[in-house]
Amino acid sequence: MKGHVDLLLLATLRRGPLHGYGIVEALRSASAGAFDLAEGTVYPALYRLEAAGLLSSSWTKAKGRRRRVYELTNRGRGELARERDEWQAFAHAVEAVVT
Amino acid sequence: MIELYLEALDRELVGVGIPVRLRRRILAEAEDHLRADDGALERFGRPAEIANEFAAELGARASRRAAVGAFAALGLAGAVYAVSFVGAAFAGHPPPDTWPLLAQLALVTVVIAPQVSFVAGSLALLRVLRTRGLVLPSAELTVINRRTGVALLFGIVTMAALGVLALELRNDSAGWWVALTLVGVAIAIPLLVLAALPAAVAARLRPRVAGDPGDMFDDLGFGRTDPWRFAGLVAIGLGLVVFLVAAVQGDPFDGAVNGTAEALACLAGFAALGRYLSLRR
Repeated sequence: MKGHVDLLLLATLRRGPLHGYGIVEALRSASAGAFDLAEGTVYPALYRLEAAGLLSSSWTKAKGRRRRVYELTNRGRGELARERDEWQAFAHAVEAVVT
Repeated sequence: MIELYLEALDRELVGVGIPVRLRRRILAEAEDHLRADDGALERFGRPAEIANEFAAELGARASRRAAVGAFAALGLAGAVYAVSFVGAAFAGHPPPDTWPLLAQLALVTVVIAPQVSFVAGSLALLRVLRTRGLVLPSAELTVINRRTGVALLFGIVTMAALGVLALELRNDSAGWWVALTLVGVAIAIPLLVLAALPAAVAARLRPRVAGDPGDMFDDLGFGRTDPWRFAGLVAIGLGLVVFLVAAVQGDPFDGAVNGTAEALACLAGFAALGRYLSLRR
């Protein structure tokens, strides 16, 4: 999973802004629990993607606590499309071999 | 429990060198996450593991950016150096053996220091261009950071020595050369200091990621040989170039002396900094 974290995070955020916990929940739910990672390890990747200009983030308030919400930038959308195409080509190739 | 966890995470983040502002943000986000449901604390991961992930992810990027920024600043300093060096031929300096001691020391410095800076900066950039991973081994980050730091330090020393030389020779040289050199140095030194700030931040990040630092043969990408033999060949080559240039200008004796000094300085630099900069293992 480590090698696909960027694609998974970008894809999770394509439907709209989410905070860290929301991203982990969405990831777990979409994968039917298959991606059950140490949740804190998502944040370093989010910071890196933000530093690379693929995500932007801002503080909001929720339940009296400060909450950082992440969303895709235009560059992030482009990167998501590129990585998804690459992944689909790879997945099709693997499928053609193993089935 | 959450408070204890956040204290432990804070300690670990300090331990791996995460800057204070970023640390506050990480802790605020972690607290929001941990209070979202009762099981979040168990699923979040060990504080040491999380802190190390941050340092590893941020460290590679920080070291790369610092090396590229340093090389750009050193490029400008190199332009100042080249303009001053070429201009010196037309500035009407008296012969160097009549210069005051401080000017002679500055002259030796402006000959040796930029070579150390160029080699260290180029090797830092080569290492950055060669490595593609999102996360780099700690030893490799140390190599990049050391090379960047040495390149900037010797770049600043070069510019300072050039300034000293211009001031020491101000009464015996063309005014335009003195002014040109001092203005160039006054621009280049602050830029180099600015480039040193991200390098200092990068050097503070200390992730624990296993891996080999490599040596200069990994950077240069050609056949591995005994590093001392390679350094000897480079030193002889440099010495020959210095000798030939002087010989063409009609001063072979001076060229032989300077060429020998250049070769010895090259070997001395390799002995002093070779291991520190991972030129040799």
